[in-house]
This record gives sequence, C-alpha cells and structure tokens, in this order.
Amino acid sequence: MNDLMTLDAAARLIEHGTPCCVAGDLEALRQLPRGAWIGGSIPYFMGSQGGVVARDRVFVTALPPTPATRFETLSAEQVGQVVADGPEHGYSIVIVPGGSQAHARFAQDASTSAEALSKPTVGWVSGVHLDELATARPVVFDGRTGKAHTDGLVVARVDLPEDRLAVIEIVNIFEADGGDVLRFERGGFEIGEVLVNGERCSFAEYLLARGNGDGRLPLVGNFGGASLNASVKQVDSAAGRVALYAPVFPGVDYHLARPVADHVETFRRHTADRSNDGVVFSCNCILNFVHGQFEGRSLGNTPTGPVTFGEIGYQLLNQTLVSLRIV
Amino acid sequence: MSLPPLTHGCWKRLVSGGAARLKTDQLALQLLCSRMERSDAPLDKRVGEVMAFFTRFERILGREIAQLNTL
Repeated sequence: MNDLMTLDAAARLIEHGTPCCVAGDLEALRQLPRGAWIGGSIPYFMGSQGGVVARDRVFVTALPPTPATRFETLSAEQVGQVVADGPEHGYSIVIVPGGSQAHARFAQDASTSAEALSKPTVGWVSGVHLDELATARPVVFDGRTGKAHTDGLVVARVDLPEDRLAVIEIVNIFEADGGDVLRFERGGFEIGEVLVNGERCSFAEYLLARGNGDGRLPLVGNFGGASLNASVKQVDSAAGRVALYAPVFPGVDYHLARPVADHVETFRRHTADRSNDGVVFSCNCILNFVHGQFEGRSLGNTPTGPVTFGEIGYQLLNQTLVSLRIV
Repeated sequence: MSLPPLTHGCWKRLVSGGAARLKTDQLALQLLCSRMERSDAPLDKRVGEVMAFFTRFERILGREIAQLNTL
C-alpha cells in the first residue's frame, strides 16, 4: 500500500494496526487517530493520476507489521542516531522538518557517516503550502503521541528477511551542462566564494552572470558517477551570499545544470523502461512539481509519493525522484 | 563470481584511485566511491569500509565484482 487516500481510509488502516508513514497537511494529520505511524506536513503529492494539491487527503506508505517495524522520535542533537541505530538488516524511513536544526544537521552528518551507505536511509523533508511559506512551519508528527514537532526527526525502522536487501534509487532529470567546473573550498548551505575552473570569484555574481539568479537550475555534483543536485534557494548579490537547499562538499566537481525543456516529458522518458517491482516508497521534489507544472499531469511510470521540500536517499538530495526498492 | 579476499590487491587499488574507473549504477556504491576519492582516512580503514559494503551487498554487485581485477 503506497497511495493517496481519504482521511477515513487512512484512519481505518491505522485503527487496523497497520504501521505506516503519512504525508499530509498538518490539519489532516491532526485528524488521524493515534497509532503506529509517523508523518510529515506537506499538501503536495504525485498520485496515480498525476500531481495533486490537497488538504483533505493524505499519502500513506504502509509498512510491515510489528515487530518488523518500529518508530522513534529523535531530537536534532540525536541526528547521528538515524544511521547509527538503523537496522543491521533492513532500512530506515526518516522525515525531518524543512528549515529546522535537524534538517541542517542531517544534511551534514549523513554524508559523512561510515555506516550511512550500508544501513539505507530514505525519506523526505516536510514542508508547507507555498502560499503559507511566511506564516506556517513544516512539522513532523508522531502518531503514537499525537504530537507535532517543528524540529527533530521521526523515524521508521524496518527489518527485512535475511534474503532481502533495501536499495535506494534516484531519477535526476538534470545533467551537468559540461561547461565551467565549480569547486567549493568550504562546504555548507551558505556559500560566498566558488572556484570556477580554478579561479576564485563570488558565487552570487557567477550565478547572476550565468542567468541563474532565480535559482531555477540546480548545481549538479559528480559523486562517483552519480549526479546529485544542490538547488539554489536565494542569490543575494548585495551580501555576496548564495543560500542552497542542500550543502555542497569540498572535493566534488559541480556544474550548473543544463536547462530542462519539459520536466514531465523528461521524467516520463527517464522512467519509461523502469520496473516498479519492489518499490515500497518514493518521493519527488517541490521544485520539480512547481517548475514542471505537475499538478493534474501524470509522470507516466514514475512511482507515486509525497512531493517534498527535500529528498533523502542515503543523504539529503534536491530536485530528485527517490525510490526505495526491496530486492 | 565470488568476492576476493581482504588480502587481494584489488581492494587497495579500488580505494587508491580505482574507484574512479568502476562502472556502476548503484547509488550507494557511487557515493562510497566518491567518499573514497575524498577521504584522508588510513588505507586499511578505507579498504575495510569498502570490503564491508561489497560483502553486505554482494548479491546485487555481480557486475561490479567482475570489474575488481581490472581496475
């Protein structure tokens, strides 16, 4: 079960004792009964019929029955436990509030943990309706207590049988433009200077000169052959700073992304030949949803799931479709 | 194809530049290779980390294991 549904249908699943992860508007989450579930705020989804904005429905990912599934709520200070306490044979699904301390700490810690790649962690960053960015705060929700948290993390731990493996896959429709090589001497979310083909300059001025002052195109980093994005949140030329939605890392070659003419068609093409067998969770990015005008449009064979303020696939990702497959 | 033993030279080669030549679509292994390229950890520690990963995911890394002797 991995589907967009009414609150009544979700409540029946919870009352039946099915452990699950739930994505939905905060007021929708508050209406669900207490039980074995965790959730995060977001009113954007990719359903089987296409992109949906809804406050009266929730996206439910049902998990294996207890004791194979367990839940935890962690503070921002406990972010290291997301990976450290992950199942020796299984996976973790984590939800973290967008813009929180836990969000920032997870982004830094998960990419450096030695165990992060052998204990798969998938998940997403919660958000709010885009009309309410200035007034509402993303939350995560512990269904066992009925409490919402604006910081910290909620985690589902799922054990797998010995003969099964959890594998995280991504679809990134952006590719490096093949032009300037960008490197950063210091990592992080807030960047002042960049080395462009080895020459130091203001990152804000560089992005403005490249016509990317609106941040529409992400940076694409080469991580051992995997193209991972860091999306541009804000370019402040006066302050000489660029804010990113995911940290950049020293020692990684980045490029600006090549423009994507049609996000929907590009996703359809990337996923046309992919099997969804064994996919138990998926999420996509709010920036793809907005820039690609996904509402009411189907991405074809692309797995369904919440549309989020950041995706987690071993580490924090941006503008990426993330899936967890059991093989 | 079975996994080479820890003493096999392929592991040291893999964490000492060979990772850049490994062809894989597995995201976790790509991230691990990227980490190895940037790591300043002692060689033995890197070898242990990489071999532990291959051991855990051996079942789905057949294509990658077949490349180990060629890197």
